Amino acid sequence: MSSLGAKVQKVFEEPGCATNQAKQSRERKKGCNKQLAPGAAAGGCAFDGAKIALQPITDVAHLIHGPISCEGHSWDGRGAKSSGPLLYRTSFTTGMCEQDIIFGGEKHLYKAIKEVVEKYNPPAVFVYQTCIPAMIGDDIEAVCKAAALKLGKPIVPINVPGFVGSKNLGNKLAGEALLDYVIGTEEPTETTPYDINIIGEYNLSGELWQVKPLLDELGIRILACISGDAKYHEVARSHRARAAMMVCSKAMINVARKMEERYGIPFFEGSFYGIGDMSASLRNISQLLVDRGAPAELLGRTEAVIEREEARAWERIAPFKARLAGKRALLFTGGVKSWSVVAAMQEAGMVITGTSVKKSTPDDKERIKELVKDDAHMFNDLKPREMYKLLKDARADIMLSGGRTQFVALKAKMPWLDINQERHHAFAGYEGMVALIKEIDKALFNPIWEQVRRPAPWESDVTPEELCLHVA
Amino acid sequence: MSQDAEKVIDHFELFRGPEYTEMFVNKKCMFENPVAAEELERVSEWTKSADYREKNFAREALTVNPAKACQPLGAVFAALGFERTLPFVHGSQGCVAYYRSHFSRHFKEPTSAVSSSMTEDAAVFGGLNNMIEGLANSYSLYKPKMIAVSTTCMAEVIGDDLNAFIKNAKEKESVPLDLDVPFAHTPAFVGSHVTGYDNALKGIIEHFWDGKAGTAPKLERQPNGKLNFIGGFDGYTVGNMREIKRLFDLMGVEYTILGDNSDVWDTPGDGQFRMYDGGTTLEDAANAIHASATISMQEFCTDKTLNLIEGKGQEVIAFNHPVGVEGTDRFLMEVSRLSGRPIPAAITKERGRLVDAIADSSAHIHGKKFAIYGDPDLTLGLAGFLLELGAEPVHILSTNGGNSWKEKAEALLAGSPFGKGCHVYPGKDLWHMRSLLFTEPVDFLIGNTYGKFLERDTKTPLIRIGFPIFDRHHHHRSPVWGYQGGLNVLVKILDRIFDHMDQTTNDVSKTDYSFDIIR
Repeated sequence: MSSLGAKVQKVFEEPGCATNQAKQSRERKKGCNKQLAPGAAAGGCAFDGAKIALQPITDVAHLIHGPISCEGHSWDGRGAKSSGPLLYRTSFTTGMCEQDIIFGGEKHLYKAIKEVVEKYNPPAVFVYQTCIPAMIGDDIEAVCKAAALKLGKPIVPINVPGFVGSKNLGNKLAGEALLDYVIGTEEPTETTPYDINIIGEYNLSGELWQVKPLLDELGIRILACISGDAKYHEVARSHRARAAMMVCSKAMINVARKMEERYGIPFFEGSFYGIGDMSASLRNISQLLVDRGAPAELLGRTEAVIEREEARAWERIAPFKARLAGKRALLFTGGVKSWSVVAAMQEAGMVITGTSVKKSTPDDKERIKELVKDDAHMFNDLKPREMYKLLKDARADIMLSGGRTQFVALKAKMPWLDINQERHHAFAGYEGMVALIKEIDKALFNPIWEQVRRPAPWESDVTPEELCLHVA
Repeated sequence: MSQDAEKVIDHFELFRGPEYTEMFVNKKCMFENPVAAEELERVSEWTKSADYREKNFAREALTVNPAKACQPLGAVFAALGFERTLPFVHGSQGCVAYYRSHFSRHFKEPTSAVSSSMTEDAAVFGGLNNMIEGLANSYSLYKPKMIAVSTTCMAEVIGDDLNAFIKNAKEKESVPLDLDVPFAHTPAFVGSHVTGYDNALKGIIEHFWDGKAGTAPKLERQPNGKLNFIGGFDGYTVGNMREIKRLFDLMGVEYTILGDNSDVWDTPGDGQFRMYDGGTTLEDAANAIHASATISMQEFCTDKTLNLIEGKGQEVIAFNHPVGVEGTDRFLMEVSRLSGRPIPAAITKERGRLVDAIADSSAHIHGKKFAIYGDPDLTLGLAGFLLELGAEPVHILSTNGGNSWKEKAEALLAGSPFGKGCHVYPGKDLWHMRSLLFTEPVDFLIGNTYGKFLERDTKTPLIRIGFPIFDRHHHHRSPVWGYQGGLNVLVKILDRIFDHMDQTTNDVSKTDYSFDIIR
């Protein structure tokens, strides 16, 4: 545990993280996890965070050491898509039982690793630590080391028992595990001046695939995406990229920063959400590559693609503007999306009446202020009851959020669109923006919302005609 | 391998073996003078074209794959809704065998009905003797409390007069004078099963209310504040009736169900054969005249019946098989108004749950295009529900729907922006639907079991809602009326949408990157 404690402490001191750096040293030691209030609703644990960050690596066997609960509930829970291997969707766990807990689970774990390697022959096995084996003292790092020697394969311990902290901490610890055990362990067969890494992109609903064709057209190669649609060897060889784009700023900032430190790979933070952001990201990628020695003509070609794609997207969004202009939206989402989606929706003529900044950095917040001027309100962590009140009072036309807030929105009679992990529409890139606007249009104009907002006809002496169908 | 007595292969596998596939090819080539494969393909493709559609819709005489059944089927349905009632169909016995198997295949229950088994001599000399003998036999064999007589085409063509025949039979002591033997003329060459239901139900009610064919005084109506409820010809009658009774009981409404088939088609497997079970008692049927109003769930099934009832001074209200929030709202509010009973909080809560469920899933149904076919009332109810969900009906077809149905459907569609692109097809059949699905494709098709051929040909996923449903079991046990019923229909539609999503993403290593656990 001491090494895990040290690792967690190091993550808290992450210099790339603006929040950490703004703190006094004593505060920083306490870490960025707010102590959870017992009895209050809380988000996922560190294990969950690590699992979602790494599970998109498609050819790895992800083996969860613990009782059934941890893997049972997280098996294939996210729509991270693969263009090839499907092993990552098969569920591997030691499924610890009473005997393991009494006598220790290390032997069981070793056998499980051996069986996974024998039966599936994956390029690597990721072994996830969970609360129970951590509590009884199973040393998964030692087991993985022994197994790697015996089986001649990378067996990577991901030491993230849920109790160490939040989901976000788990994201970062997952990144640390990649830095310690995977990145830089293999060499690519060839490199080009156009090689980049995309960090913090998980290819949910195949979003990366909406962006990739444009990079392909520009001749830019994704050496590794960490971790969407990634293969183990790509991640292992990712240290030879010329530049990197950091997508979800809070999740894997440590990976981007340390890769810059260790291998001199410059990175920028960007987003694929929103037309303006997508263009900015393409520009930044090209600029960084040119700075690192790629031919300067790349910049001109990038501008040409941007011009063409923007025009095409605008043209396809235009027909919706008449219907969406003036519609007011509330955003409950995290991190980058709190502002990148704002820009996107403004592009469709919508008004943002509020956005949550729970997972946003001060930088994110600045950007929001810039975008929405004084009109918008920023909200922090909200309890469902407060959220409900807010939705009722805000008199917005639609809410965009993750799956967990959907049901609160519904009770507040608010049309709702899922823009988080479990959604099924890809909203990235120029293509994704058109899709987002289409989905917003569908959500806003679904006839059930009239019904949701109306009381049962016998409960009101107002006729349906007199009832305001869309909140004015 | 060929069939082997030691290990006989059943039809699923048998003809897939090489010896059979080869044999079929040879047989075709050598003896069947086949057209070239390309020609076959060309014609097959042509049947999917707009050109073919035009010719298809120009059909005048030929009906191909009709989506309707005949009057006596509906008459048997109506008769079975009454206590210890034996449906007696005057005409040829083959027809009656059809009705019995048709219902049994749908409800997975034995269905009792008899015929007068008319043969050639009866067709020539009239069926009176068959009626006399038939009533006597069925009365002594099956001990019914009532025999409800209807007719097949055969009796209708020769013009047998049921009223006179039954009187004659009673005079000849074929059955006791006081046995209730209501009747209805139900020629299959007029209307469809919904007409037959209407005629038979009207016949039964008229019998009790208007002096039992001259053997008793006509009843005097003395309004008692109760409500009558008529379900109509309904493939979901088992689940629906129970749901309606539950709702009425929750509201504290005093009611009489006129025609309750929910027990006779859902008898328990406890070792006892119940030829009759449940049903409206004959006493209740007679007393129903005193009700303040009658509600019919299916207008096109109860046209004449409601006329009769209205003539007795009752208020009559007819719905078109309401499904979903607004349909159920209207239904319950009428029940509340007519009975003077408020809608209790428990039902308001059920309503909220349905609204909630629809909103939860709205994104998956919104904008999906549907084709619907079926009985006139059912198609109207389903179309209304689809509009409520934000789905877009594109083709609505009813073989037994006429012009008044068409007008109703068009008015319904005009009331919603989601009904804009929809066309209504009265009197058309499933071969017309085939052309529609090829030339103006939709995402999903709603219809009965016969829709599976359309699904096979056009690859339009079929959602089975309607009558008959032969190839899926027990659907009739779940209601489609009330808010709970709306929920069931919603789930049925969603299940198919998600099944389809799974089926189009489950090719290993090809499409299964979208084969997701969470939908």
